[in-house]
Amino acid sequence: MTEATQRVTDIGPPHHEKMMPPVIQKNYGKWVSHEILKPGVMVHEAESGDKLYTVRAGSPRLVSIWKLRKFADLADKYCGGHLRFTSRHNAEFLLTDPAGIDPLIADLKAIGHPVGGIGAAITSIVHTQGWVHCHSAATDASGIVKAVMDAIDPYFTGTKKIPGKLRIALACCLNMCGAVHCSDIAILGIHRRPPRTDVGAVGKLCEIPNVVASCPTAAIRPAQKDGASTVEVIEEQCMYCANCYTVCPAMPLNDPVNDGVSIWVGGKVSNARSEPTFSKLAVPYIPNNPPRWPEVVDCVVKLVELWAANARPYERMGEWINRITWPKFFRMAELPFSKEHIDDFKHAGLTFKRSAQLVH
Amino acid sequence: MADKVSVDEVAEAMYKQVASAQGVKKLKPGDLNKMMAEIYGDRVDRDTCKLAIRKLIESSRCVYTYFGGSYIELPHRESAEN
Amino acid sequence: MAELPKTPLLDELEKGPWPSFVTEIKEAAKHKASSRDLLGLLERSYRERLGHWKHGGIVGVLGYGGGVIGRYTDLPQDFPAISHFHTMRINQPPGWFYTSKALRQICDIWEEHGSGLTNMHGSTGDIILLGTTTPELEPTFQALCAVGFDLGGSGSDMRTPSSCVGPARCEWACYDTLGLAHDLTITFQDELHRPMFPYKFKFKCSGCPNDCVAAVARADMSIIGTWRDDIKVDHAKVKEYADKGLDIERTVIRNCPGKCMEWDGATLAIDNSACRKCMHCINVMPKALRPGDDRGATILIGSKAPIVEGALLSSVLIPFWKPEPPYEDLKDLVRTIWDLWAEEGKNRERVGEFIQRVGLGNFLSAIGLDPEAEMVAHPRENPYIFYAVGDKE
Repeated sequence: MTEATQRVTDIGPPHHEKMMPPVIQKNYGKWVSHEILKPGVMVHEAESGDKLYTVRAGSPRLVSIWKLRKFADLADKYCGGHLRFTSRHNAEFLLTDPAGIDPLIADLKAIGHPVGGIGAAITSIVHTQGWVHCHSAATDASGIVKAVMDAIDPYFTGTKKIPGKLRIALACCLNMCGAVHCSDIAILGIHRRPPRTDVGAVGKLCEIPNVVASCPTAAIRPAQKDGASTVEVIEEQCMYCANCYTVCPAMPLNDPVNDGVSIWVGGKVSNARSEPTFSKLAVPYIPNNPPRWPEVVDCVVKLVELWAANARPYERMGEWINRITWPKFFRMAELPFSKEHIDDFKHAGLTFKRSAQLVH
Repeated sequence: MADKVSVDEVAEAMYKQVASAQGVKKLKPGDLNKMMAEIYGDRVDRDTCKLAIRKLIESSRCVYTYFGGSYIELPHRESAEN
Repeated sequence: MAELPKTPLLDELEKGPWPSFVTEIKEAAKHKASSRDLLGLLERSYRERLGHWKHGGIVGVLGYGGGVIGRYTDLPQDFPAISHFHTMRINQPPGWFYTSKALRQICDIWEEHGSGLTNMHGSTGDIILLGTTTPELEPTFQALCAVGFDLGGSGSDMRTPSSCVGPARCEWACYDTLGLAHDLTITFQDELHRPMFPYKFKFKCSGCPNDCVAAVARADMSIIGTWRDDIKVDHAKVKEYADKGLDIERTVIRNCPGKCMEWDGATLAIDNSACRKCMHCINVMPKALRPGDDRGATILIGSKAPIVEGALLSSVLIPFWKPEPPYEDLKDLVRTIWDLWAEEGKNRERVGEFIQRVGLGNFLSAIGLDPEAEMVAHPRENPYIFYAVGDKE
């Protein structure tokens, strides 16, 4: 074995048992049922008869330690010093005394955090870093998310009711650091121009075979320029995935004029009723319009309202669209259907309509 | 069966491969494992390779790098650094 | 402390009811020069509609190849405090549970060593500490280790496993998702910190088919809880739901994908032999219905986002698995898959893409699993069947 070092390494994360409140340690694996008491509040009941109240607070994901300390203070005040976060960035406060629920909600409101997002509601948007911290972003993430959540906040807090769950996710490029591709509504940053190859730098910064191999459509070929090795891009074959840029910084695609956002709908990961499925393209391109991307916000709100007005109870966006059919969805949403909507990558033929079952 | 090669010897052999590939081809740990298997045949196993890589990294003779995937290279100033 | 930069565009994002990330950055900017420069840089990105970050590829802590993402602004003259602004991924406690003490310890360390900004949490599940300099990486790491935290994954390694809230607070958890995630994380510390694969490999543990951590879409190995016996029914409670106005025929029966339920207005009848374990009826009537007692998990393999060869959902590898610590059967399977993939996988090829390339049938042969009908949506439609040369009668 290797020699021991002074440094501590390879300890892994703390065990969850050290982090969980006593009521959970006691009733671990022995919960019997739950009930949503009001927006953002639910109670779980254990075999022992113990009850655990959860208050879910929305969060922007990007939080400062000064905010986290306020969360810690609230956890001390109401929850015996315990809290958790959800897979969608919400903070959850776990109470054994229901008398704390309303004061906690008031305290959360006072520091700017709404309570909601449980059950038939829209919860926080899973998203990526965007211009805050990412080199390959085709759009910002946090800014669009903030603008969209401002507009659909009533569906989070429960002041507006919806037929079922609706999950929104945003990725600022095709790398998709998040389950964007299986969301009811996915907002996806896209490039629309081929890489601007820094011909002189490619050979110095990057390995040509890696760059060539990175292209899913074989649009990148080795080339010589002034006696030095470099690459050339067959621009008609480029689909702007930016994979080459990921392996080679000398091939940037970022473009303030042509970058923007696409909107995808009808995906889900849950097995409830219908099987998990990918989101499908609804709107190929909306230009970046910071600081509040009004066109994107309008589009998302319109899609939410259309679904909410027409879906049956529990029917997710994709299930509703499958029932009414995609052409009808495009008509109802008043979205133009264009060449971009027809797949032309692998297995594209499987997405063609192969029957005469149409809604006229 | 022939004697197993020591971790130190494998580390040296790997270091030579990394040094001669530097700037020409980025090697992944898997590439190094395959190279060692070619040189030493069944006298080397994956665990020895793992320990050899760990030795190279922990002695700072080599570093992990990331360019879309992870590689092992000689330490150098990175091009993105300001 | 210097004044905050003027940010007329970002200020627009402090309006409205939803909590604002701009407000968070401004709070940090009151205390930290790096966050102040981040605010200025972001305003510039908003003005120019362009990101201003470069991806580093070398920085890390000694001995690890994962857990740190190198970041440098491309405008270091204008924003010198974020000339280096690296991300650190910290392995979250399973289920994202914290004591206020642990949370404050992380805050204190990050106040001392970094920007004071975090993501709670990143997409893979880690605590994201957003922005520090190269010299601060090692001290931050050691300070975190001293309070029981370690780095998460990045690059071509096993990424930080994550799990849903599981048996900690959910009656639907069909196995101990937190326990399995923690066990895998500890067992495979070497694979987590020292990239040794063709590309990344993610585990996600969901306790039931509702799949709250999106395992089927986001994990190379998706471990999704399920059960084999009958749904547990409390008929009196079913009646209660009906009496309170739930339209069971319309809401529950018609949405059942197996068409295995009937409701005559008084009794719910379930043909469990046809139940697909979708969770819908249980979701609608959580007080009346529960997953059965013979619980376990379905193991699926291969999901990923589009890069490189297109997005994939995971597909069934083990139709039903009984998770029992220390999970050696699963770990053996994982090691077998990793060995094969390490040997045969191409650079930057995820295991799902590898299976697409070599074929699921060949992959199964190579890892020593028998084909099962549960692994496919339907059998092949095309008659171009490869029979191995030498197969006799």
